Amino acid sequence: MLESRSAVLKLMQNQACKDRCIDRFPPPFSRQFTPYRQHDFSSAVREVCSSPRQPLSGLKISKAIFLGDVAVGKTSLVNRYCHKVFDRNYKATIGVDFEVERFDIIKIPFNLQIWDTAGQERFKCIASSYYRGAQVVAVLFDLSNMYSLSHCAQWLEEALACNTLQPIIFLIGTKRDLLSSSAYKHVEEKAACLAKQLGAEYWAVSSRTGDGVHELFQRMAALAFDMSVLRDLNTLNTTVSIGSQPLSVKPTQKKENFKCNGLHCQ
Amino acid sequence: MMSIKLNPQELRNSDGIQKVCEKIASEEENVEKQLETLLARQCHLEAKLRSVTKALPNLQIVKTDAQQLSQMIAHTSTLAENVSAKVRKLDDARSRVSECQQRVHDLLDLQLCSEGVKLALQEEDYEKGAAHVHRFLSMDQTLLRQTADDVQQDCTAVTNSFSLLHKAAELLQTEVTSRFDEAVRADDLASVERFFKIFPLLGLQDQGLSKFSIFLCSKLQETARKNLKSALETRSADKRASVIYADTLTLLFEGIARIIEIHQPLIESYYGPGRLLTVVNALQEECDRQSKLVMNEFRKHRQLDSALAQIADWLRNASSSASSSNLSGAATAQQNRTDPKNLDLLLGELTIMHARAEMYVRFIRRRVQNDVEVGVPAEITRELLMDKLETMLRSSGLCHSMQALLGNYLQLEHYFMAESVKKAVSMDQLEDNLQIQQTSSMVDDVFFIVRKCIRRAISSSSLDGVCAVLNNACSLLEADYCSVLRSQLRQGYMSGYLDLTQAYNALQSSLQQGRLQASDSEKARLKFLAYLNNADVSTEYIATLRLSLGEEMAAALPGMTDRDRAKLESCLSGMGGVTASLRALVEYGMSQLSASAIKPRVSPWVDAFLNVSHILTEEEFSGYEANEPFVRNLVANLDSLLSSFKPSLTPTNYDTLVSILATEVTHQMEKVIAKSSFNRLGGLVLDKEVRVLVGYLTNATSWSIRDKFARLTQIATVLNLERASEISDYWSSEPGAIAWRLTSAEIRHFMTLRTDFRSEDIKRIKL
Repeated sequence: MLESRSAVLKLMQNQACKDRCIDRFPPPFSRQFTPYRQHDFSSAVREVCSSPRQPLSGLKISKAIFLGDVAVGKTSLVNRYCHKVFDRNYKATIGVDFEVERFDIIKIPFNLQIWDTAGQERFKCIASSYYRGAQVVAVLFDLSNMYSLSHCAQWLEEALACNTLQPIIFLIGTKRDLLSSSAYKHVEEKAACLAKQLGAEYWAVSSRTGDGVHELFQRMAALAFDMSVLRDLNTLNTTVSIGSQPLSVKPTQKKENFKCNGLHCQ
Repeated sequence: MMSIKLNPQELRNSDGIQKVCEKIASEEENVEKQLETLLARQCHLEAKLRSVTKALPNLQIVKTDAQQLSQMIAHTSTLAENVSAKVRKLDDARSRVSECQQRVHDLLDLQLCSEGVKLALQEEDYEKGAAHVHRFLSMDQTLLRQTADDVQQDCTAVTNSFSLLHKAAELLQTEVTSRFDEAVRADDLASVERFFKIFPLLGLQDQGLSKFSIFLCSKLQETARKNLKSALETRSADKRASVIYADTLTLLFEGIARIIEIHQPLIESYYGPGRLLTVVNALQEECDRQSKLVMNEFRKHRQLDSALAQIADWLRNASSSASSSNLSGAATAQQNRTDPKNLDLLLGELTIMHARAEMYVRFIRRRVQNDVEVGVPAEITRELLMDKLETMLRSSGLCHSMQALLGNYLQLEHYFMAESVKKAVSMDQLEDNLQIQQTSSMVDDVFFIVRKCIRRAISSSSLDGVCAVLNNACSLLEADYCSVLRSQLRQGYMSGYLDLTQAYNALQSSLQQGRLQASDSEKARLKFLAYLNNADVSTEYIATLRLSLGEEMAAALPGMTDRDRAKLESCLSGMGGVTASLRALVEYGMSQLSASAIKPRVSPWVDAFLNVSHILTEEEFSGYEANEPFVRNLVANLDSLLSSFKPSLTPTNYDTLVSILATEVTHQMEKVIAKSSFNRLGGLVLDKEVRVLVGYLTNATSWSIRDKFARLTQIATVLNLERASEISDYWSSEPGAIAWRLTSAEIRHFMTLRTDFRSEDIKRIKL
């Protein structure tokens, strides 16, 4: 327990725990509700990761931010995954909480920084300073509270405004255990519709029962890893071309507008 | 023994009989031997038997002894049981006697108490009365009544005393309460304390504490009101006027701290330890109220809300214009915007307020923790109490308003930093002579601002605040600041003049002629170099900033948990991203410089090589060796080029430039060599020329760039061979041999440049 609480220790581990090893590409919640249609890691990523001399420099770190209204269960979800606990009592997050999860993805060490933000308005200035450079944006809402769903677009918009590169977007419905399956069907319809509109992958989870939590984070890590390796490969290529074509201004500009084509391909 | 089987067949002839007979004989012998051994053991056995018979009588004695012993033990045990039963009875009796005694005492005391209370009430000696009531309350009343009943005497007297004492207690309670209230009204601190001490004696700890807390709160309220009033009356010329609200808040916190400091011993000695939390709860409520009043005044008088509204507007504009343009754009609504400088004092006050509140909360936490640790032995209840304190503090109005305050501060600080940096960029000044100041003024200004903002955030002693400002600083530097540098570097280094010295001369002469405006292209060129330096110096500044901030934070925020430290570290590492962007910028700028200032000039200089024939006679050779016209010219040209840049560039940038130049020169040299042809002496000359060139360029920089010339020197070596076959001495796969940068095909190709090498010889060489 003590070990699992220290972010530094997690970074220093030689190997990820067994349930943090990902060798096969994790599936989405539902193939219908995702813009990320790939069935496996991108072929370029597979190739790079299996070659003995990796051109990737250093330990890969991706940043994921968790947003959403007050008390939708952001901290509960993170705690369920990172510490395997669930606390019924509501305790408001102050500012931001920070976790690091260490994965081994197709044998490559990968760290997912999880920034769990406070939903209350008065912490917005703290939370919003972390929006920039997020590779994953997870917008959460309470499945039993449609009002929280209606704010998701706003949350996402604010997060995207700070990012020049398009992040991976998740729309996550929490507290699945509180809904009957018929009630859930109704909510799912609306949420999936919004997810499509936002270009987000939809998930429904329960931090109390742990339903879907592990699968969600596996998926998140794999997608983030794939994208970040692809981006690295791309910058590697563009930096080389800067030296050889000194007068062209384009490469650096391109880098900004570059959208991860591996993720958008069919 | 019966092993001999008589086979009738065997007994038919004498031979058989003989055999059987022998067998029998040997058998007999065996038997005899066995008998002998048995006999030999006889005496031994006999001796043993003898000793056994000797021991027999002794055994008898032991047996009787043992029986005796067991009897004795049994006896003793019964005896002991008897005795202990008696002792137990005795004990019982004794405890009953003492209980009885106690009750008798109680009865006597009861009498005394009831009389004493009467007297004390008459004399208004509340302490004494309360002491009597306290004694009475410690008695077990039902038991006393029973005893009195059992004894069948004075039952009425006891009941009377009871009712009397009950009455007296009630009387005392109302009396003390009213006296206490009266004392509170009269603001008579001594009486308040006097009656405060009586409450616990009457079994009214909770009531006493709550009443006392109310009293303390009223005192607090009063002083707070006074402080706020005097704060509002402070003239703006006062020295402390700029932080007067922070001062007022500090006074409030200090007041609470003093109250706790003074009254904690009182509470502890009369109410016992572990009671502080109740008082703190009440005080916190008052603190919330009072701090809110101060904050309201603060907001009103410092026009915080209007500033925030303006900034919200600004943010909206910034985010909408971010996609279209950078710092230079969005000039709309510039007029009615607050000057960031005006916010400086306000920001300072905000951080002081937050820091004070943090300190206050830490004080409260420490005090309650100490108190709980002394007063509550059970760990579980202790944790429960501390949890209670934490939730109380978390949900307190003070904490909420401080969190809101921090949010406001961050918004303002964000604005302040962004606008100040923008201002620094717009006021950017460049020394006309880069030799004095290699960078433009904005680097120092921008980093001064960023450091100031982060330091101010540190002074708020909020980790989240520091992290947020760090994040904002990183995004500001990486997005806005870098884009300013990039847009300048993108314009390129326009090379209208052949080199910078000419540019300088032109500038100087135009200055002397009173035309103070240097031409635009000269200025642009200087600016380009300065911005290149800006980017390089910025990477250095970031490294030092990160280092010093890391230390400062560790000192300013003690008691960080591992997780806090990891959080901070990951925010600090955001600066690494800025450094990477700046490095990319320098590289980009250097490639621009090389494209416009190096490549076009180097190529004609090197092309001069083609004008010189490298097929020389002895005479030409000695003449050439004396002058070395090509390489001297080239080195002179390179030297003038480099020396024109050297003072204007930072050492790192200059080194990069030299290395780029070296690459370019070797590249061009290779080209022209491939176009020429050589004889033996020409090869010798080339080798010398290359040596001179390499020597010059390696001396020009502090970096080791010899590696860049590896190919060129190897080409010179190949062209300087005596005979074609000599190459096999150099070409070897053994370790320690020359690491060839040329492929075997290239070597063959370069060898064909030697007119005196026959092509079949070259073909014959094994490589």
